[in-house]
Amino acid sequence: MTPGASPVTRSSGEIPDRAAAAGGNHGAGMDVGKAAALHIALADWRRRSTWVDMVMLALRVSLLVLVSAGLLLSLAHNEYSAADWLSFAVFGLTLGSIYALISLGYTMVYGVLRMINFAHGDVFMAGAFGALIVADPLIATGSLFAVLALIAVGAATSAAIAALIERVAYRPFRHRGTLAPLICAIGVSFVLQYTVRGFFGTGSRAYHDIPVLDGVVILGPLQVPLVQLFVILAALLAMGALHLLVQHTRLGASMRAVAEDRETAALMGINADRVVTFTFLIGGVMAGTAGVLYALVFKQIHAFMGFAIGIKGFAAAVLGGIGNIPGAMVGGFVLGLAESFGPAALLSGFGIPAPYQLKDAIAYGLLVIILIFRPQGIFGERLAVKRM
Amino acid sequence: MAAHTSLKSAAVALAVTMLAALPAGAETKGPVTDENGVVVVPAGEPLQIGSFLSLTGADAALGIDARRGVEIALEKIGATYKGHPVEIVYEDETCSPEGGQTAATRLASNPELVAVLGPSCSGAGRAGVPILWQHKVPVVGVGPTSPTLTAPTRGPTFDGFVRVSFNDNATGKFAADYAFKTLGAKTAATLHDGSVYGEQVVRTFEAAFKAAGGEIVASEAVGAADTDLRPVLTRIGTKKPALLFAPLYVSTGAYLVRQMGEVASLKDTELLATDPILAPAFLTAAGKAAIGVKVVGIDFRPETLGPAYQGFVETYKSKFGEPPISSFHAYGYDALGLLLAAVDKAAVEKDGTLYIGKKALNDALHATAGYDGLTGKLSCSALGDCASPVYAVWEFTSEQPDSYALGTNPKRVDK
Repeated sequence: MTPGASPVTRSSGEIPDRAAAAGGNHGAGMDVGKAAALHIALADWRRRSTWVDMVMLALRVSLLVLVSAGLLLSLAHNEYSAADWLSFAVFGLTLGSIYALISLGYTMVYGVLRMINFAHGDVFMAGAFGALIVADPLIATGSLFAVLALIAVGAATSAAIAALIERVAYRPFRHRGTLAPLICAIGVSFVLQYTVRGFFGTGSRAYHDIPVLDGVVILGPLQVPLVQLFVILAALLAMGALHLLVQHTRLGASMRAVAEDRETAALMGINADRVVTFTFLIGGVMAGTAGVLYALVFKQIHAFMGFAIGIKGFAAAVLGGIGNIPGAMVGGFVLGLAESFGPAALLSGFGIPAPYQLKDAIAYGLLVIILIFRPQGIFGERLAVKRM
Repeated sequence: MAAHTSLKSAAVALAVTMLAALPAGAETKGPVTDENGVVVVPAGEPLQIGSFLSLTGADAALGIDARRGVEIALEKIGATYKGHPVEIVYEDETCSPEGGQTAATRLASNPELVAVLGPSCSGAGRAGVPILWQHKVPVVGVGPTSPTLTAPTRGPTFDGFVRVSFNDNATGKFAADYAFKTLGAKTAATLHDGSVYGEQVVRTFEAAFKAAGGEIVASEAVGAADTDLRPVLTRIGTKKPALLFAPLYVSTGAYLVRQMGEVASLKDTELLATDPILAPAFLTAAGKAAIGVKVVGIDFRPETLGPAYQGFVETYKSKFGEPPISSFHAYGYDALGLLLAAVDKAAVEKDGTLYIGKKALNDALHATAGYDGLTGKLSCSALGDCASPVYAVWEFTSEQPDSYALGTNPKRVDK
């Protein structure tokens, strides 16, 4: 689950072969040797590559050209001040930290079960609504502890729901080895959406203004709303705690073991069912935290918001390399930053009117671009044996 | 009974299919011949009217308010028309083109519909009206305000559309005049959400603002489901406009007013919004940030619209237990009244059976002149505009949704 944790599973693919092919020429003079080695490597690559590789290469080169042209043109336009660019960064990090928290749930469940929990976006939504029930009295107390309590309530709601879903809807299908759990996840997603809709209605509900988080922090030329700093900080703390949990506790170790090989882990005396429940629980905690943080920033929540944000979280997980925890965190931030920077940094250079309408196109376009260069995601592992 | 009805509808469906196969041929039923076909309402059978409104989601208030207006109008006539019970079939257009398409398709599948009231939103209308007109069902708009729906370029697929709601050509022009003359803004930025309504009203605002001598420094758009508007606001902030004109719906509008406060470069920029956010739901969503937001909308106060409207509002309150929840109730009420007035002219009664020629009905709708509605005297143009709106600018004074009342919160600020 962590990068480099399992070197044996890495592909012993092209790179060593090429090194060996190039290594045959070491006797000659330095420069000539290098040129010849390069020549041979190139010839070797041409001999081995198929037309698919050629197309991919052309695609990669043209993408690079397109992206760098957009970047350079935008910079040449010089529309934005340094403070604006910094503001974009803060917006991106705020949204990114929420994506990152959500994507952790996708990636952990995938790591342990090889299954995509499409109901996870709705677990996030349920956390925001769970905290809404107690939001008014808590916010009225006006203390920062009340906000933390709010996050705790959201996290607890989502964790409970995630664990319940796992027990009721996924565990019975776990050993079937079919698409059943995936279909089930989509069903659970509808159940959650329409349950919340039944309780809270179809319209938007809003969190009240929170006086402790009102106000602006002045950082040099930049004015950052306090709530955004709070959200970024809270998300980083939650991710730090998760990292410690996974890397330095017994439970974390068993989680990694189950992710590596469930059957062998079971032979070693690890209770896989318990580990899976635990995985869903902490995925839920992260999603619930994200739900409340989202509500603190954006204030409005509605029963169907989980789908679109869930897809973003999933995209972040894929971007980082699905199954990889640090990857999910990085993927979330990259996606958030792409959404806030992308339209300004890429599209305005080409003179596209109203570039922010294309924000999602940029975010998903980036996903495609990164997967073209790194099909396994930013931190993804190449596996010698495909694990199912 | 059920078998009888389905047999009958099968027969009518067959007739409609045959009619579709022979578009040039006129249809004769009983005493009526009509080139678009004839709807027959036998004695004692219900007169069926369809309706597609925005009934769920963030903008549900628009449609529910209009539906309540239709219900009050229905109650007033005792839910009967010339001895026929009047039945209204409601569909949800979800304030989106997809929703409008689905709802219109469902309605169009019922060949006994005389006409359709709705939609609430322009996007739904643009998708839905042509589907209904394929079946020659005329539509009376209760909420869509986009100019394209009644523009000279609207094309034959909109021949069956009239609306009692106003046309945003006038909205954009009024807003631009107010911004330039009253507020003294010389530069303006615009922001819409890609909806048919938003984009159109922005275009008319821009044209009128430039014509008045102002300068449009930024013309931006976001996606309808976007929640993070701060990047686009930062972009607008680089141009330092004196005014931001943003015709957005409730949810996006609330994100805008909350996040505008977080973008330092916009602190001297005045915000001017439009009527979709004139609803208590906006106050819930926007919280304290709603206070001071200026909104261009129709003057719907009872004192402006006269005693009939005052009586209507009293009925509304006693029937639904709350004051009107948006500004579309009176359009719903007027739409049904205007439709039945046109049916009066177009329908031929024989032995208790109503024969309504579809073209005759549509012509009668378009020929409406001086209909005495709640929203004023309604006279439809050849292109289907019937309203005579009185515009005003409103400003929210409190963030409490319970305190929503046109006149106090928001209060009128342009006079």
